[in-house]
Amino acid sequence: MQIFLIVLGALALIAILMYNSLIGKKNQVENIFAGVDTVLKKRYDLIPNLVASVERYMEHEKDTLEKVTQYRAQAMKPGISDDQKIALDAKLTAALGSITVAMEGYPDLKANENVMHLQRSLSEIEEQISAARRAYNQAVTDLNNAIEMFPTNLMAGWMNLQRRAVFEITVTERQNVDVNALFNR
Amino acid sequence: MKSVSELTDFYYKELYPSINKLEETRKRIVSQLKFYGGMGIVAFAIVALWMGKNFGLLHPLSIALVIGFIILASITYRFMTNGYAKDFKAKIITPMIGAIDPHLLYNPDFMVSQHLFERSELFKHSIDRYSGNDYVKGSIGGVSLEFSDIHAEYQTRDSKGRTQWHTLFRGLFLVAEFNKHFKAKTVILPDYAEKSFGSLIGGWLQSINFTREGLIRMDDPEFEKHFVVYGSDQIEARYILTHSMMKRILDFQRRVSHPLFISFVHNHIHVGIATGKDLFEPAVFTSLLDYKQTMEYVNTLQNTIGLVEELKLNEKLWSKE
Repeated sequence: MQIFLIVLGALALIAILMYNSLIGKKNQVENIFAGVDTVLKKRYDLIPNLVASVERYMEHEKDTLEKVTQYRAQAMKPGISDDQKIALDAKLTAALGSITVAMEGYPDLKANENVMHLQRSLSEIEEQISAARRAYNQAVTDLNNAIEMFPTNLMAGWMNLQRRAVFEITVTERQNVDVNALFNR
Repeated sequence: MKSVSELTDFYYKELYPSINKLEETRKRIVSQLKFYGGMGIVAFAIVALWMGKNFGLLHPLSIALVIGFIILASITYRFMTNGYAKDFKAKIITPMIGAIDPHLLYNPDFMVSQHLFERSELFKHSIDRYSGNDYVKGSIGGVSLEFSDIHAEYQTRDSKGRTQWHTLFRGLFLVAEFNKHFKAKTVILPDYAEKSFGSLIGGWLQSINFTREGLIRMDDPEFEKHFVVYGSDQIEARYILTHSMMKRILDFQRRVSHPLFISFVHNHIHVGIATGKDLFEPAVFTSLLDYKQTMEYVNTLQNTIGLVEELKLNEKLWSKE
């Protein structure tokens, strides 16, 4: 009888530890996503300004600019899920990247101090976003591992925890943003 | 900033007159040392023989004699080489540092303050004795930095009440301005746990280290193998440790081959290189013209001051310019 109680106690302890570690991992993901959200918002705040200042110059990139505005509006909508935010962020990053490249073809733009200021602020925020994404991905990987690995997967199934999506890190992002090289060309 | 070969040239060409003079002094000291050493040994042998006959070799007086001789010999050695070491620093190291960059100031007797060393949070143990020398301060490419030799120790008492001194850190300690803004603390330490216990158990041991803030797992496997990162902010730690920064730190680690301690606190980077010895101390028994010895001085200076460029601390964020 005593042995039975000891085994039961040990099992209960293990279950509690597993439960707590899963909750800890889930909260870590949410906590870091809040950080990601903050830096993403910083970027959203700059976008209308950027679009307004380059619109006059960039006739050929009207479509891209419109898309950027559209993605921003979608991302700012209340009540969208984290996964949707992640997907929108990927599109927005790509569109902003192509604008930066296209700006090379407009000497007037490069002479415009206001635009340059915005562009530099954006690339600084880009570095912060990149760091936030990596932190989020690590937290999500930890959570996803726990959800799929034995024995925590049993507990996770019972707690109804779901796998989360990670941000895709592009090749260009793996390299450091070299601000000097960008503007001294 | 001069390259290693330029510096070596500078050493052998520009400093040649001073080196020659110093080399003469060194030779004189060595021959004096040999002379006094020989006399000392003869005197010691005679006294020891006499003592051995009258009291026996294990008599307390005989032991006291041996200890007395050792102390006397080391005092004599210090006394005779002290002037040489001072001259060496004034005539060789000072102009070399000036040649690397005229904005650098050198003081052989000063050191990085204990406050900065403790602020770095690289070592959590309290410090009971703190000393250092060979202090360099200045700026390289607009980045202010300072470094020096540091020897930090702490004290323990054993069961018999005897005090023992333990070295916490001995080597080069550098503090430089960092090129990004940050609020949190990030500490990078050599990864002993994962190396000795493997990634599973070692990783678990790291995660339950109570003296440190949260463990931060980096997404560079090679970096993770060599270092362990602790910090108070997961995002900021990655903001500082970009992929390229991790690579640069790894490259630096490969070149210095001593344990490397790095922390990012208060908008500054703190680097401790645990060489285990005092740098820039001339070896009396090695010639000043010895190539290997020279390269050691040149490389140490170049590696330390070059760290600013190597870690690209001079590529400041535009908003920090």
